[in-house]
Amino acid sequence: MALIEQLQRRVVEMGLVPKIIALLPLVSMMCAMISSLWLAILPIEGQFRRTYISENALMPSQAYSYFRETEWNILRGYRSQIEHFDTISNTERNKQMTEWLRDFGAKTAIYNDDEFGDSLYGILHAERGDGTEAILLAVPWHNAEGEFNVGGASLGISLSKFFSRWPVWSKNIIVVFSENPDVALRSWVQAYHTSLDLTGGSIEAAIVLDYPGSNDYFDHVEISYGGLNGELPNLDLVNIAVSITEHEGVQVSLHGIEPGFINDESYWSRLKILVRGIFNNAFAGLESLHGNEAFSGWRIQSVTLKAHGKEGGNNDITTFGRIPEAMFRSINNLLEKFHQSYFFYMLVAPRYFVSISSYLPATVVLSASFALASLNSLLNNQYNTLSFFSHYNLMAVLFWLISMLLSFIFSQLFLYVPSMSLLVIFILAMVMIPLAAGRLWTITEPLSYRLQMYAFFYMSLVITSLMMVNFALAFVIGILAFPMTVVGTQRNLTLKKCVLLVISNPLVSFFLIKPHPQLLQKLIFAWQQLGCWSWFVLCLGWLPSWILVALSACSGTQFHTVGTTKKEQ
Amino acid sequence: MVRLIGIVGWIGLLNSVIGVVKADETSLKFQIDQDIDLQDDCNESLGNHEDSCNSGFLFNEDGSETEIEVTETIIEDAPRPTINLRDKEDDSIIVEDQIWYPYREHLTVKPLPKNYLLTSFDFNTESNEFIPGRPSTDFDDYSHYTVFPKAFKPILDQTSTRQLHLRFTRGFWDAESWGRLPYDGFKSGGSGVEIWAILEAASKDSAFSQWKTLVNSLSGLFCASMNFIDGAKTTFPVEAFHPMADSTLPLFDNSNKLYLIRAALANEPICTENLTPLVKLFPTKGKSGITTLLDGHKVFDSTWHSLSVDISTECYEQTDRCIHTLQALVDMVINVPKTLARNENPIPKPLPSDKLRCDLDKPYDAFHCFQLPYETEGSYGLSELFGKYIQGSSLMSEEPSQVCVEISDNWNSFIQVNGSLFATADDCFELKDFQQQDIYFESNNTNEVLDVEPVPVYVSRSLTGYGQDRGGLRTVFMNPQNEPVTLIYFETLPWFMRIYLSTMHLEKNAQSPVNISLDDILQSTYYMPAADRIRPTHLEYRITIPANTTLAVSYQFDKSLLQYAEYPPDANHGFEIESAVITVIDPTAYQLRTATLLLLLSTPDFSMPYNVIILTSTVMGLIFGTLFNLLVKKMLTVEEADKIQEGNSLQHKIQVVKGKIMTKSKFKYQEVKNDLKE
Repeated sequence: MALIEQLQRRVVEMGLVPKIIALLPLVSMMCAMISSLWLAILPIEGQFRRTYISENALMPSQAYSYFRETEWNILRGYRSQIEHFDTISNTERNKQMTEWLRDFGAKTAIYNDDEFGDSLYGILHAERGDGTEAILLAVPWHNAEGEFNVGGASLGISLSKFFSRWPVWSKNIIVVFSENPDVALRSWVQAYHTSLDLTGGSIEAAIVLDYPGSNDYFDHVEISYGGLNGELPNLDLVNIAVSITEHEGVQVSLHGIEPGFINDESYWSRLKILVRGIFNNAFAGLESLHGNEAFSGWRIQSVTLKAHGKEGGNNDITTFGRIPEAMFRSINNLLEKFHQSYFFYMLVAPRYFVSISSYLPATVVLSASFALASLNSLLNNQYNTLSFFSHYNLMAVLFWLISMLLSFIFSQLFLYVPSMSLLVIFILAMVMIPLAAGRLWTITEPLSYRLQMYAFFYMSLVITSLMMVNFALAFVIGILAFPMTVVGTQRNLTLKKCVLLVISNPLVSFFLIKPHPQLLQKLIFAWQQLGCWSWFVLCLGWLPSWILVALSACSGTQFHTVGTTKKEQ
Repeated sequence: MVRLIGIVGWIGLLNSVIGVVKADETSLKFQIDQDIDLQDDCNESLGNHEDSCNSGFLFNEDGSETEIEVTETIIEDAPRPTINLRDKEDDSIIVEDQIWYPYREHLTVKPLPKNYLLTSFDFNTESNEFIPGRPSTDFDDYSHYTVFPKAFKPILDQTSTRQLHLRFTRGFWDAESWGRLPYDGFKSGGSGVEIWAILEAASKDSAFSQWKTLVNSLSGLFCASMNFIDGAKTTFPVEAFHPMADSTLPLFDNSNKLYLIRAALANEPICTENLTPLVKLFPTKGKSGITTLLDGHKVFDSTWHSLSVDISTECYEQTDRCIHTLQALVDMVINVPKTLARNENPIPKPLPSDKLRCDLDKPYDAFHCFQLPYETEGSYGLSELFGKYIQGSSLMSEEPSQVCVEISDNWNSFIQVNGSLFATADDCFELKDFQQQDIYFESNNTNEVLDVEPVPVYVSRSLTGYGQDRGGLRTVFMNPQNEPVTLIYFETLPWFMRIYLSTMHLEKNAQSPVNISLDDILQSTYYMPAADRIRPTHLEYRITIPANTTLAVSYQFDKSLLQYAEYPPDANHGFEIESAVITVIDPTAYQLRTATLLLLLSTPDFSMPYNVIILTSTVMGLIFGTLFNLLVKKMLTVEEADKIQEGNSLQHKIQVVKGKIMTKSKFKYQEVKNDLKE
């Protein structure tokens, strides 16, 4: 007799199968906990790796940077003019800037956008390049916080002038002055790939400059790299940004965390960066954008450099200018597109990262926990013997289809009427109708189990398919939706279960995490203007499951008796 | 380590030898110059000769000084020229008056707005007369090449090429400020290498095979990757590249036909290795005349440059003889302030504060400086731009090399010979033999130049689209004139761009006129769809752009997936799409090309299947092995196993067999015994 047979016999003898089935809810819960713990383990020493420049051609900071000395005078010369620009209109600003750009031979054009404001852009054609590729320098007139980007604009124009004197460029240089770093810039990028007449080839990389105020000195640089829909720039670009910034003697901050805290090199600082990174990525598009997000989706690698600390810094503004200068020189060295290094990674410190193979299991386990919950609903009751073609099963599939349809209608409806009050009514109705329906119209117990089975199974599929492309969103949704699995199908809804049900509603839980009165508008805006999927992931991925769970949790009277008999048994 | 040092030592030695050889050459050259023209001035030493010659310079001593320092050091290292060199000069320099060859060279210099300078080198030669249609293997045939490059004739004969056009172009021509391209654009190509030829052949197939021979031969001749031209890159243009109506091409065999074939290598790097063979085609070979200026460092440092070779066949009906004519052009646009600044300092470092030109009306102090636009007053010589002087003239041609300057009234131009400056009324200078010469320019306002001729139409093309699997091509035609422009648009696209001609439409936007549809302006279309790996998409259409209108024509395409071996290595640049060619036929003849494009195909992650196969195979192997063992094997105690093993051992088996035999024989023995008893 083979060993496996013996094992199986022993398992049957001990009655382990029913025991394990009985433990399924616990196992599922354990999986969710392991998933969260997994991420908590990543910042421990030994779990992450040190970043390295994978593409040797980049050679960051190998060439001496010359944006210094009298370039500072020139920059201040421009700045003395730009300081007055926030009082004049966008059109006048662009007109003046056009004149300056044309002075040193840039080709300029203005992209007219009545909705978000015009963008001015200039192209410096590479003398020896083939003109098929470009590196982009973007300067929003106002930054994410709405401050006027005086330093950034002065750097934009003086750096372009500086670049125009260099014969080394193998790629065209495009400089863009947009009204703001989000919609106006994104709309320009969109237009560049559809309707602009003056183009300079495919954009390989973009650097967004953010230096508000006309202070000469700053303290540290924040590097923003997260894109939309889970897209990240090639790790090499982030690496050269970090390495050049540190080479210039400037400290780097990530996700708004002070460099002092980062430099502790403690577990907590790494965990903080990791968690902030996941949340920023998951909710990308809902908060004000830094600028680099505008390039997501066109295979453009982009980062935003933001100068922090108006008072008390000891790095001068040309130091800030030398960072894009050296980055341009690095990118200019590339003969091929960015293909080395990682596209899927998470930073735990400016110089430390976790690769996809280390962090992906967290979501895999989370997805498994939903699959186990689904299995639990299938096996862990007396209806597990029902055949697949039973009336209940088919009804459940039908219900699932209906809930999908409803969710789709819901998602489309709000695209046209993004009204918050309507949403509140809708959510109230969503919560109340099953409750009310429970009185009027009953869902039999077998059906309610089947509904949950499909709900969790669908959720597991959604998380699995999302985790590769948008890890952060998949993980956050999985964690936030997890309370659904413990709602259960009892008729006597306890307050606790009620609360669990309500907080696992996609919109409610998003609102709890991001309490913003305009959340709905932001979600819809992010889809319409930035192409962020979050709204549809919520509506088509999460909401159908929630509707099914809500229905099953508030099912009918018959259930009560069954429940009690079960308890008695 | 010792070996390494040895190698270094050898290289050093080799270098010094080369240096000596080079120096020898230069000293020879100077010696010749010196003895003929400047005997009194410079006979102490060669280095001094340079200095003393230089003291007569009127312009810009700083720029030339660095150059001279270099020559001086070389000369000092070099051995003094020997006497036999002096003897030689008497033999070599005397040229009989009667021997002239059909070779002309000409340089046109034209300042462009914003401190740019267009220099056009023009070289023309002709071959000796030959009898058409006679195979070169004829017993009484002999080939004699004078100034016509020997390399070409056999290739032309072998491939029956009647016309050959080669273009090497790179850079950005700023039509907006520089106006029309030189020679109305008919002598420059798109970025990269472009080649088209008219071949005489019996059929299209044989024309194509001759074409293959032609491009492969030229590939070696010009050091360009023309050998990569195959069917998938070659087109037979219908309207766009036809030779001008006035030239008729001869057919050597009347049963044959002429075929026009074209191909382009987009973004093929243009480099010294293409220029050197070109310069070597001319009898002066870069040693005298205007070819001495053609130094790769300077030519390829320019903003825009184009090298072209055009060979044509002309036949005379009276004598029934033919000749080949060859025209080679080198055009380039130089940014003057940048080039001059690079002479001073090769790295454009920040300017010293005393050299900053600040606008005093704006905030200005030790910290602030609002820079003024570039200086408009200036003077410079060609030697500063090219790093070399013109050495003499072309000796064997009928007329001396000529340099013409096209300038407006606020400019002055001079030729500098022997330290003196001369001017002419028509600003055309004839170069003198054996002299070191230079052309100088000066102007009080370099922005004021001769009016640039406006281009009839601006065309730009770009790739559109979001994502990896499909895209669009968008071509914008802008007619700035007050009359409609008719043009032929020619485009070839690689087969992996699957275009949908049905999606071709005129874009509707705020600026475009509402009442125009594509059918109104499109007059004729020729479309040859691509065949995978065999031929490219070939699209030609004739379109009329109404006066003062901007139109955008766009269509969609799919990016096809390649076979796995066809993908370039992961470290690729993308696929280069050659430029579209626009030939304006009405109201003027003009040709221009759009910029090339870079297409990125969606590339599968090739390392992933490999990883997956390896990983799954390992896991499968492990699982299968374990599972198989678990299913078929039984767990036993050691004693049990020993027992079984005992039973299985060879000894045991022998024992068993033995026992059996024994028992059997015993049995038989017994039987026999029993029988006997009975």
